[in-house]
Amino acid sequence: MITVEKLSKAYGDHRVLDAVDHRQERSESVVLIGPSGCGKSTFLRCLNQLETPDAGRVTIDDVTVDCARPVERELQRQLRLRAGMVFQQFHLFPHRTALENILEGPMHVLGRPRSEVEPEALDLLARVGLSDRAGHRPSQLSGGQQQRVAIARALAMKPRALLLDEPTSALDPELREEVRDVLRRLADEGMTMLLVTHDLQLARDVADRILFFHGGHIVESGTPDEVLDHPQHPRTQEFLGQ
Amino acid sequence: MRTGPDSVGPLPPAGVVSSPPEDRRPTTSSSTPWLVLLLWLVAGGMIGRSPLRADLWDDVRSRGVLRWGDDAEGGAPYLFHPEDDPTKLVGFEVDFAAALATRLEIRDQFVQNNWDMLLPALRQGGSFDIVIAGLERTPENLAKADLSRPYFVFAQQLVVRAADTGIRSLDDLRGRPVGVLSATASHRLLERRGTVEIRVYQDNVNYFRDLEVGRLDAVLTDTPIAQVNLAGNEKLRAAGPPFEPGYYAVAVPPGETNLLARIDQAILGLTTNGTLQQIYTRYGLWGAEQEGLRKWTAPAQVIRRQRSALREWKTYLPMLLRAAVTTVWVTCGGMTLAVIWGLALAIVKQYGPAPLRWSATAYIEVFRGTPLLLQIYFIYFGLAQQLGLKLSAGLAAVLALGLNYAATEAENYRAGLLAVPRGQMEAALALGMKRRVALRRVLLPQALRISLPSVTNDFIAMFKDSSIVSVIALVELTKEYQIRAIDTGDYLGLGLLTAGIYFAMSWTASLGARRLERFLQHDHR
Ligand SMILES: Nc1ncnc2c1ncn2[C@@H]1O[C@H](COP(=O)(O)OP(=O)(O)O)[C@@H](O)[C@H]1O
Ligand SMILES: [Mg+2]
Repeated sequence: MITVEKLSKAYGDHRVLDAVDHRQERSESVVLIGPSGCGKSTFLRCLNQLETPDAGRVTIDDVTVDCARPVERELQRQLRLRAGMVFQQFHLFPHRTALENILEGPMHVLGRPRSEVEPEALDLLARVGLSDRAGHRPSQLSGGQQQRVAIARALAMKPRALLLDEPTSALDPELREEVRDVLRRLADEGMTMLLVTHDLQLARDVADRILFFHGGHIVESGTPDEVLDHPQHPRTQEFLGQ
Repeated sequence: MRTGPDSVGPLPPAGVVSSPPEDRRPTTSSSTPWLVLLLWLVAGGMIGRSPLRADLWDDVRSRGVLRWGDDAEGGAPYLFHPEDDPTKLVGFEVDFAAALATRLEIRDQFVQNNWDMLLPALRQGGSFDIVIAGLERTPENLAKADLSRPYFVFAQQLVVRAADTGIRSLDDLRGRPVGVLSATASHRLLERRGTVEIRVYQDNVNYFRDLEVGRLDAVLTDTPIAQVNLAGNEKLRAAGPPFEPGYYAVAVPPGETNLLARIDQAILGLTTNGTLQQIYTRYGLWGAEQEGLRKWTAPAQVIRRQRSALREWKTYLPMLLRAAVTTVWVTCGGMTLAVIWGLALAIVKQYGPAPLRWSATAYIEVFRGTPLLLQIYFIYFGLAQQLGLKLSAGLAAVLALGLNYAATEAENYRAGLLAVPRGQMEAALALGMKRRVALRRVLLPQALRISLPSVTNDFIAMFKDSSIVSVIALVELTKEYQIRAIDTGDYLGLGLLTAGIYFAMSWTASLGARRLERFLQHDHR
């Protein structure tokens, strides 16, 4: 489903991604952990071309992008259509209601009529437990509610995979559980997810596999039990020890 | 009567020029008439005449110099810089002033003053003793100063294009555009008749130009001006004989009877001893009609005292309000253009391909970096002369204001676009939007909200800036104020009325803007 080959990205002299390889099957949910500034966000953003990698290949579902050459805009867009993105800071459209945020993509990217999309959008709102907030603007919602709308917005595009960048980090601890709950159910339903998080509770709950990222490489990979409870690599041990 | 013949552009009096585009940002409702009012009060306080002074004639005689005020931009044949030596000042009024002083056994000295403000300055006293500036001996002028016996007989002359052979008199011009100089006998005559479309100018060059290119069908002016401008110009001709004769007189400050008597005596002497005939012959102005100078006797005068615009508000307020309508539509038209064109510029400058981006940047820099006045002249006169593109004054005004403000609005929008968090564009792209769609659906709605306060500020500023379009014969509020103030001499009362109207307009606009902002903010939450 997701294949990454020799993905590299440097900011000046700083090599943030150093020929990273990664394979992920359909319905597999993978959690990426690692210290701050080690390049986790950069990795996710390179996957859907919000950041331009220097080299490597990214395949999501049936779309392959070779990053060594300039990438055509339409190909970029096709890649993004297959990978929904959820941001740490939600990035909801502040001038639109919760419902409109969810309708935005299907109507104005896919060109589907509102009459067809609206029932789906309301259904998504129900799935994230926000049926009663359809007409609210982002500024009238709590952080947890906003993040759930953001997840619904990504799902409305029916992506093949979901990329999530620290979806609970911007939330007060008591609001995290509602977002974890949504993500747990998504994982159970077989959504292919690549999740970056510092929230080890969340990692344990949803991960089929956990990757530890360090120095531009994936240095350890295994089940939650293997990586979180019996880490092999000294940096992983150090990271989890603190 | 006349100002600015060969200057780049006749400027309204210093106090009435609206501020240059650079500093139009302040959004207080201080309208230009306030400035005039302030200058008027300050000037009055600083150079007000001393109550202890004996009499102006005594001053003049002991000084040995008669200072006369006029505007050196006046033009031929009154006073002008000859083409072969621009440092000299010549003209029949220069010679007349010299002869007058000689007759009084003193010297004369020319003092430069903006034409529109000659009589107010004379009343203030201090800078000159008399005014010799083709002032018509009319009740309006008599209300503002004491006037001597006439030194010149002029008449109204209708000027048309040589090709328009059908036009013989004003009766042939019903409903058609006729140019006149602001606040002159010609202007009042057309207003009294009310049968033609009056176009008011500030100088006596541009209306001939507009007549040649076809924006006007005729010009009504004083005989000396017609004479000079028709000489050697094959495109124009005089239509019909001169009519409605009138007199030019010397103005002295009100109540200076001694000085007035000396000057009357001197003029009579110059008339009877043939000096005036000599001078006028030299300029090709002598004709049988000047016999009127000799025969003239002072009429039993009904001198209208200075009028009070506040007491007669029923007369003046409707006039000002009619002019305010012009201000409103020029401003609304200009702003509509600025808002739309500015948006296009902002988007191209921010997201367009390189060559377009550079063009937008160049446009913005040029229009922000040059005076609005210059742009108006360029659009109205320049395009007509060089490309034959004859825009109407109204259209030219809307275009000039719109194109100029578009540069400012573009920068406002850009500031708004830059203020939208980067995550918004990323979220839109991550949804699979094309850049164009992301711009339209996500960035612009937010950016426009952010830039709305600056845009509405500019809208209010444009109400005041729009006064500058009076230079292309469009009578808007400030111009109407000027015309009526010169007529009545009531700068204070009219200024208050005018300022009140400006205030009402900006206040309404601010109220509307605030409501819109609140509505959108509420919408945002
Ligand atoms: N636009 C950028 N320009 C320069 N350096 C950047 C940029 N974005 C990220 N970095 C650097 O790349 C490294 C990885 O950043 P990031 O992927 O955000 O880390 P993480 O998400 O793992 O905390 C950091 O050292 C960061 O300073
Ligand atoms: Mg990060």
